[in-house]
Amino acid sequence: MNADVKPRTPPKPNVYVNTAPFWEAAQQRRLVIQYCCDAGKFQHYPRPVSIFTGRRNLEWREVSGRGVIYAHTVIRIPGPGLEGRLPLPAATVELDEGVRFIANIIETDPARIAIGARVAVAWDPITDDFVYPAFKVVEG
Amino acid sequence: MSTGDIVIAGYSETPVVFRSGRSAYDFAGEALAALIESTGIDKDIIDGMSVTVPLSEASNPFFAVYMADALGISPTWLNYGGIGGCSATGGVARAMSAIRDGYCEVALVLSADAPSTSWRANYGAFRGEFQDPVGVQGPPAMFGLLMNRYAYQYDLKEEALAKIATVQREHALLNDNALEKFKKPMTKEDYLSSRVVADPLRMLDSVMFCDGANAFLVMTQARANQIGLKKTVRPAAYAELTNVNGNQSCPDITETGFARIAPKVFAKAGLKPSDISMFQPYDDFTIAVLMQFEDFGFCERGEGSDFILANDISYQGNIPLNTGGGQISAGQPGLASGGLNLAEAVRQLFGEGGKRQVKAPKTALVTGIGVIPYGRNWGTSAAMILEA
Repeated sequence: MNADVKPRTPPKPNVYVNTAPFWEAAQQRRLVIQYCCDAGKFQHYPRPVSIFTGRRNLEWREVSGRGVIYAHTVIRIPGPGLEGRLPLPAATVELDEGVRFIANIIETDPARIAIGARVAVAWDPITDDFVYPAFKVVEG
Repeated sequence: MSTGDIVIAGYSETPVVFRSGRSAYDFAGEALAALIESTGIDKDIIDGMSVTVPLSEASNPFFAVYMADALGISPTWLNYGGIGGCSATGGVARAMSAIRDGYCEVALVLSADAPSTSWRANYGAFRGEFQDPVGVQGPPAMFGLLMNRYAYQYDLKEEALAKIATVQREHALLNDNALEKFKKPMTKEDYLSSRVVADPLRMLDSVMFCDGANAFLVMTQARANQIGLKKTVRPAAYAELTNVNGNQSCPDITETGFARIAPKVFAKAGLKPSDISMFQPYDDFTIAVLMQFEDFGFCERGEGSDFILANDISYQGNIPLNTGGGQISAGQPGLASGGLNLAEAVRQLFGEGGKRQVKAPKTALVTGIGVIPYGRNWGTSAAMILEA
């Protein structure tokens, strides 16, 4: 972690829908994603219903945390919580389970960040006792 | 009564100003007064109103009712439009439906916002947990991701984006209502040396939030004749789509709602892209303009860069683009922005384009874009074809 980066504020869970299982799993460094049991598909961010069926037959399932970079950028403009973090690599990651995730790319040489690059979930310590999901580029 | 009987019979637009220190109400008042001045109508014939949700007053759920009170208007039909940059064209379309259904006869479609003076919007929802901590907090980062993916799938030439930016700037120099700060020429070199804000998106690919307002009068052609309004334009077709591919987890993010609605608006208007006299697309970012050339069939998907470089997109050209400078060079008056390109289209079709008048225009294609969702293409796409 960059020495200039101040501890950030952990996100408040359950503001939109019940996301406590996501954040509890994250603190155990496990990535769980909302799964529609009827359609047999994942969705992210967490929704109040299945985007496939409109029903609430949803559960949290652990995923591999492996996928590829679908799109990437480098954020160079300031914003809340970005102090000392710029330039900040961010990406849309497509997990192998068929769902996308917007996340920072950490622990990675910027030259290796490319569409199609294989990634694995990594855990960004945003405070001393809270990790936030991010991804790092890994070998095929 | 058919769609063809309903027209836009007046428009007004305030100058675009940065940090005016004024409210959306005050800008709306300026727009209404200008509309009454230019059309000579009695205010009290207005019996319908559509108001755009503004960033600067978004915390007031009764803004539209407050606005009616502020303006001394007592509408029998009131619409509060929350589809961002689609709210102006969408407001006109909804007003047409209301007039057809007999809810009102003369509708004021009003968009006013002052976010560079007062920002009172909080998108809330999932963003605090899943988007803001990543730093993907606003449109530039989302559009950086979209541009990056587009450039991977297709051919994105920065010279084409530079041409959009510089031609629109030339148009803004001829627009008295354009933001004062932007009234200086821009070269291709200026564009190419412009600061990158979210790779590969540059500052000069982007809009700047400002303050301003615009207003339109919608009524039947018969009513316009009765009042003595000589200049009218006919909305020949409208279509919108929100949350394209919304039931998919991994859609192609370069697929926009416009690709879906373009065939509908052209079919309804009985026109094809080559029949369009001017293109006034919503231009929050240059890549959105480029993609819309493709989506509306001016060229094939992926050929936008070459099309822009090969054609004259100036007001004198074969496909005039955002002849008032668009939002990128006239300034983006918050969520009133969807009315900026619409006002320019109506102005041109009325023959009031002044130094930037398109020669004998018959038609205009105007579009809107509203909000950028999580990991998707933009939220709402709206398109309207106007006929002189």
